Amino acid sequence: MHIDIRQTLFRNPWFVIGFTLALLFTAMTLLGPPLAPFDPWDISFTPISPPSARHFLGTNDGGQDIFSELLFAVRNTFAFGLLSGLVALGLGVMIGLAAGWFRGFVDMILMRIADVLLAIPAIMILILTAALFRPSPWLLALILSGLMWPSISKAIRAQTLTLRESLHVRAAAQIGGGNWYIIRRHLMPEMFPLYLVGFAAKARIAMFMEAALAFLGLFDPSRKSLGMMIGYALKYYYMDIWWNWLLPPIVCLSLLIMTVTFLAISLERVLDSRLKDALGA
Amino acid sequence: MISNLRRSVPSRLGLVITFGLAALAMIYLSYSLPRLLPGDFVTTMYSSSNVTLTAEQEAALRAYYTEEPGFGHYLVKLFRLDWGFSYAFLTPISTLFFSALPWTLLLLGTANVISMIIGFVSGVEAAWRPNSRLEKGMVGGMTIIEGIPEISTGVILLVVFALKLQWFPAAGGETAYAELSLYAWFADVGHHLALPLATLVLAYFPGNFLLTRNSMMMVIKAPFVTTARAKGLCARRVRYGHAARNALLPLVTRFGLRLAFMVTGALVVETIFSYPGLGTVLFNAIQVRDVPVIQAIVLVSSLMVLMIILGLEVVYRMIDPRIANAH
Repeated sequence: MHIDIRQTLFRNPWFVIGFTLALLFTAMTLLGPPLAPFDPWDISFTPISPPSARHFLGTNDGGQDIFSELLFAVRNTFAFGLLSGLVALGLGVMIGLAAGWFRGFVDMILMRIADVLLAIPAIMILILTAALFRPSPWLLALILSGLMWPSISKAIRAQTLTLRESLHVRAAAQIGGGNWYIIRRHLMPEMFPLYLVGFAAKARIAMFMEAALAFLGLFDPSRKSLGMMIGYALKYYYMDIWWNWLLPPIVCLSLLIMTVTFLAISLERVLDSRLKDALGA
Repeated sequence: MISNLRRSVPSRLGLVITFGLAALAMIYLSYSLPRLLPGDFVTTMYSSSNVTLTAEQEAALRAYYTEEPGFGHYLVKLFRLDWGFSYAFLTPISTLFFSALPWTLLLLGTANVISMIIGFVSGVEAAWRPNSRLEKGMVGGMTIIEGIPEISTGVILLVVFALKLQWFPAAGGETAYAELSLYAWFADVGHHLALPLATLVLAYFPGNFLLTRNSMMMVIKAPFVTTARAKGLCARRVRYGHAARNALLPLVTRFGLRLAFMVTGALVVETIFSYPGLGTVLFNAIQVRDVPVIQAIVLVSSLMVLMIILGLEVVYRMIDPRIANAH
C-alpha cells in the first residue's frame, strides 16, 4: 500500500502556506542584493523621511533606505536560522545514530552530555560569548547548533533503538554488513521524515534567537538584522514612524517564524503518523 | 498506547548528577571564558566600554583581575553572593540582581501559571470534541499565534495599547514616587504588569494548548476512559478526574525543556516594556558593555533555571502515580 507523501503534504493547508512563504523568503535571500534599490549602508539621504516614490519605506535615523535595509536583514536572519538548523541536524543525527546503534558506554556518555546541554539555557551562553568575544554571526550560529542538537539526537536515538531490532536491519547484519554500511544504507534513509521535523523546529529557535540577540545589541551594529531594526525603530516610537519603520521588520520576522512553525507542525502531523504506522512504534 | 506516554525515568541520583554537571559546566564557562580573552582583561573590556577610568582605578582593577583566585575560590565567592561590582551602575552586582529578581519572578510566574491553566483547560475541552468546528478553529488559531514571536506581539501591544490608546503605561513596573496606599499600589503594579503579561501569555499558551490537546487525544482512546464512562460517571469527572490527569504529565515534562528556551522571550519582552526585571538590567549592562554584570546575571539566572527544572522533575514524580508507586 503506497501513499504518496508529496500529495498528502500538499493537501495540508499549513504546509502549502509554509512552503509558499519559504519559497518567497528563499527568493528574497538569493535576490536581495540586486533587488535592493540602494546600498543599505549609504547614509547620504535625509534622516527619518517618510515613504516616497524614491524610498518605498522612507529612511531611518541614520539616513539609510529602510527597504534596502529590510532586504539585507531578512537575508541575514534567514541564513542564520538555516545554517544553525542544518548543523544542529547533522550533529543530532550523527550523535543519535551513534548512541542508538553502538549503545553501552558510548550511549551513556553521549546521552549524559545531551541531558546536561538540554538543561542549560542556550541564550545565556550566546550572550556571554557575544559580549566577551564578539564572534562573527556564523560562529555564534555554530555555537547555537552545538547547544541545540540534544533534542534531535534523543528522537533519532529512540528510533534507532526500535529500528535496530527490525527484520531487515537484522538481515543486513546477518549477511555481514558493517556498522557504517547499515547506518548509511538502512538507518539514515529510513528516518528522513524525522530530519525535516527536527530541522524546521531548530531553524525556528535559531531565527528567534538571532532576532533576540540583535535586538539586545549583541551583534556588530553594521550587520543588518530584523531584531536590530526593531530595536532602533523602537527608540523613536514617539515619532510617527511605527508603520513604515517599525512594522515592516516585525511583519517579516513574524512571517519568517510562522513559515518554519507551519512547516514543522504540518510535517509532524503528516509524516509522524505515517512514521508510526510504518515502524509500528 | 499508554506505553507511549511512559518515558524512561532516570534514577534520582542520575538526575542530581546531571543537574550538578550542568551547573558546574555553566560556572566553569563563566570562570574560564574571560580568562581566555587575548591580552589583558582590563584593557580589552574597559577600553571598549563607555566608562573612563582614572589611572589609579585602572591600576586597582588590574591588580584585582590579575590575582589568580582559582576555580575553588571563584565557587566560594559565588555562594557568598560576592559577585563583584558594577562599574556602570556603581553598585554591588548582588544588590542589582536581588532588586530586579522579584519583578522577573512576578512577571514570569504569573505568565506561566495563567498560560498553563488556559492552555490546559482549552486543550482538554478541544480534545473532548474532536473534529468539531470549535476544535478545528482553535487548533488553527493557536498554530498561527504560535508562529508570532514575542518581539512582534510585544511591540504591537506597546504601540496600540500604550501609545495610541494610552490605556496602559508604556514602561516601568510601578508609578515612580507615587505615595500609594497598599491597595492602590497593587492596582498600580497590576496596571503596569498587564501588557508584558499579555505578551508572554500569548507566547506561551498556544504551546500548552497544542501539547495538552495532542496528549489528551491519545489518552481519550485508552481503555480506562471507556471504563470510567461505562461506570456512568458524569462527563466532567471523566474528563478531568480520569483522562486529563494523564494529559497533564507531558505538560509538566515539557515545561522544563521549554523553560530554557522561554528565558529568551522573557529577556526581550522585559526590554520592550522597560520592565524593571533582570532582562532590562541585562540589556542595560550590554548597552554599556558592563561585563561583570552580564557575567553574573547570565550565570545566576542559568543556575536558577536549572534549579527550577530539577524541582519540576520532583513534582513530576509526585503527580505521576506510575512512578510514585514504583519507588
